[in-house]
Amino acid sequence: MTNLRLLAPEMVLSGLALLVLFVDLFVPVKRARLLYHLAWLSAAGVLVMTALTLSGASGAHGVGTLWSVDPFSQFLKMCVVMTTALCLLMGLDYAALPERHAGLYSALVLFAAAGLMFLVSATDLLLVFVAMELVSLSSFVLAGFERMNPKSNEGAMKYFVFGAFSSAIMVYGISLYYGATGGTKLAAAGVAASPLLLLSLVLILLGFAFKASIAPMHFWVPDAYEGAPTPVTTFLSIAPKIATLGVLVRLFGVVFPAPAWELTSLLALMAVLTMTLGNFTALFQDDAKRLLAYSSIAQAGYLLVGLAAGGTLGQEGVLLYAFTYVAMNLGCFAVTQAVGQAAGHYGLSAFDGLYKRSFGMALAMSFCLLSLAGIPPFAGFMGKMYIFSAAVKSGMMWLAVIGVLNSVVSVYYYFRIAQRMFLRDATGEAAPLPVGAFVAGGVAVAVVGVLLFGVYPEPLIAGVKASTRFLP
Amino acid sequence: MLSLIIWAPLVGALIVLCLPKEKVTAIQAVSFIAAGVSLVASLVMLRAFDADSAAMQFVERLPWIPSLNVNYSLGADGLSYPLVLLTTFMCVIALVGSLGIEKRVKEYFFWFLVLETGMLGVFVALDFILFYVFWELTLVPMYFLIGVWGGPKREFAAIKFFLYTLTGSVFMFLGLLAMYFKGGNTFDILQLMQLGPTWEPRFQILVFLALYLGLAVKIPAAPFHTWLPLAHVEAPTPISVILAAVLLKMGVYGLLRFCYQILPGGFQWFLPYLVLIAVINIVYGALCAMAQTDMKKMVAYSSVNHMGYCLLGIAGMSAAGFTGAVFQMVTHGIITGALFLLVGVVYDRAHTRDISAFGGLALKTPVYAGLMFLTCFASLGLPGLAGFVGEFMCFLGAFPMWKWHAAVSVLGIIATAAFFLRMMQKVFLGTFNEKWAGIEDMTVRELVSVVPLAVLTVWFGVYPTWPLSLMNKTIAAMLGK
Repeated sequence: MTNLRLLAPEMVLSGLALLVLFVDLFVPVKRARLLYHLAWLSAAGVLVMTALTLSGASGAHGVGTLWSVDPFSQFLKMCVVMTTALCLLMGLDYAALPERHAGLYSALVLFAAAGLMFLVSATDLLLVFVAMELVSLSSFVLAGFERMNPKSNEGAMKYFVFGAFSSAIMVYGISLYYGATGGTKLAAAGVAASPLLLLSLVLILLGFAFKASIAPMHFWVPDAYEGAPTPVTTFLSIAPKIATLGVLVRLFGVVFPAPAWELTSLLALMAVLTMTLGNFTALFQDDAKRLLAYSSIAQAGYLLVGLAAGGTLGQEGVLLYAFTYVAMNLGCFAVTQAVGQAAGHYGLSAFDGLYKRSFGMALAMSFCLLSLAGIPPFAGFMGKMYIFSAAVKSGMMWLAVIGVLNSVVSVYYYFRIAQRMFLRDATGEAAPLPVGAFVAGGVAVAVVGVLLFGVYPEPLIAGVKASTRFLP
Repeated sequence: MLSLIIWAPLVGALIVLCLPKEKVTAIQAVSFIAAGVSLVASLVMLRAFDADSAAMQFVERLPWIPSLNVNYSLGADGLSYPLVLLTTFMCVIALVGSLGIEKRVKEYFFWFLVLETGMLGVFVALDFILFYVFWELTLVPMYFLIGVWGGPKREFAAIKFFLYTLTGSVFMFLGLLAMYFKGGNTFDILQLMQLGPTWEPRFQILVFLALYLGLAVKIPAAPFHTWLPLAHVEAPTPISVILAAVLLKMGVYGLLRFCYQILPGGFQWFLPYLVLIAVINIVYGALCAMAQTDMKKMVAYSSVNHMGYCLLGIAGMSAAGFTGAVFQMVTHGIITGALFLLVGVVYDRAHTRDISAFGGLALKTPVYAGLMFLTCFASLGLPGLAGFVGEFMCFLGAFPMWKWHAAVSVLGIIATAAFFLRMMQKVFLGTFNEKWAGIEDMTVRELVSVVPLAVLTVWFGVYPTWPLSLMNKTIAAMLGK
């Protein structure tokens, strides 16, 4: 257990999560909002803590027995914690969450975040698995948090069954890995390539694919996302996805480089499948949360393109896209939450005539949607540019072509929302949209991120370049 | 200076966004000031512009994303400068036309000004990423401008326009990326002009095709023109003006600037197809226009036909052809802009654009009829008016190389003349249709927007030396390479 101090942020976060649970015992129900505040402040505090390790002396980075703390993992941890803090803020304005369980809810979100933080640092399959389970178990409960909502229950149930199934696949992969290499440490040194090892890697990949909603392990996504409380959906659609992609980059970019192990075509195939399935199914959705669920599947596909393309450029692309994805997806979900809550449902018709009800929200939503579609001058364009240029550079022109065509398809359904917001008028009278202060804050952060890093991405790119360094 | 020209409208747009939506006059005033600043600045540049130099002038260069070697670099030469002038000018004209907009005024002017920034940026960007950002920046405002303020089928027209153009552009984008890596990590257009011609033909052809796909949709070159009639017809009048006058030019500009100057190998290989497409555009566009009963649709198809002349001139690969193409771009912008405005005038009064619904309008509205006759004659290429000069030079330039193609294209001219004359006859001549007894002649606002265009039409037709002198050197240098 050397270098335990490297995991200080994770430990502090877990401790704070336990603290929230404990404080819950003494806070009366009508003061329950205090717990949310405590939770998001904890996340924000850990964010600062993690940020300090970035610029700090090299002593802040290092390798433990099961983990390695390097610029790469710290970057992803910051993305995860940032998402967590913002999602908790969104929760403050989400009426459907029972106040009575505020402590439990916030603690679970924090536990999931801690799990993801462990995950991106893990270099041993043991820690990988434990971290994954921590995330999954917390998420199962969170997805079903609206107990009285049948959709929430249905989504959580599907999520759970599918999760158990894919955990089993992953454990099987890990056991084969143990058989092939004699250990659970993720290291290629002294490991002979064998069909057994390859099989184990593929099974482990499938286990990860479940968390990142990569085809063919994506079937749980729409139901779980539709049913889960919106802040939870937001969290699930961002944090586990980027963290898992991070682990995949470590696994198939550094430890077992995909080209050397002939896994590139498999990754590319999965990327194509994920993008195409996500985008084409999203075309037919009439529920905003389902639409965004399929869109987030497609987005995972773009991220996977970066991984399949490989090389430094591809890895940087994954990080860059992950960061911009946090802002744009969060912005979309935050507006959707406000709109859906006001309308009482999440059907696309809830967006009708939004321009009249809240011009700012409508504009913010269209910025985030355009960013998701990869239209300049928004941040998503920079991410897509990076990822597709990695594909072009590594000679996978066909992958880039499929990727950009997919973005064109995605424009159609993103614009179905924009169309309803600006081109249609609301049926009945257009009452101003009530927007909670915290949701508005979240949207503001997202829009600033989407615009700032779209127009002036240099600091972000420099940060990403500095972060693409791995320790064994 | 160029920065001032392109960013002034965007600053105006942001100010408009901050104004309360009830203050319509203030919004309009800010928009005029913003567009006016651009226009004045671009006219002031005229004094500093050295027409005897083929080099890029007013070059600005700042690092933007140094890690990817992307720069904020702008510049104008004899190819882009006339188009900048055209854009700033037409935007002010279209703004005058926009004063009649009553619905959601604030948003309208906001999107309009964003659009202007995008269009100007396309013509002066010297870095491919910057270019692409501006290129796409024109799409979103256009989507909303068509979609919110357009005709009955506006939603469909808007999304069709968006998807069509985007599909083309993403291929162009991949072409840009391929050039970036081939050229040693540079998006610099001037640098790529040096490197490009040395690349092996196969690569040049592939990249050419990728770029061409993006540009052809914008031009629009057959068979990618189907978005145009729909978008032009559904768009509100001032936006049709901008679409026809400026947006179409972005495609031809790209063809001359990137395809020809960076990828001459690919361009040469494509020439036989390009000239074929030009002929199709000319003849097919004219025939389609002839078949229309809707005046706006007719004008829209005449744009397809006129862009065909541009392509024909370009395919000639001669000084006359290139000059003709650029000149045709400018004059088409002016003439077709005026035509759309004029069609808008009658539509505002009669709420129909059906050619056969009218008759003898010249009796009641002499000023309107006079202006319409002038622009129609200019558009069909009557000598002495601006349209003739460009068309003539395009044919002159193309003839030595493509005799048969040019000969077939002449059919297009005849058809153009036919449909314009038929329209004039049915709408303005003949017995007066009593249904329109109450129709009034043009208002001052309408005259203010159309008359400057009519003046330019006559001026450029009689004395084209001045606009030609702006572009001559650059085009000579382009061909001299």
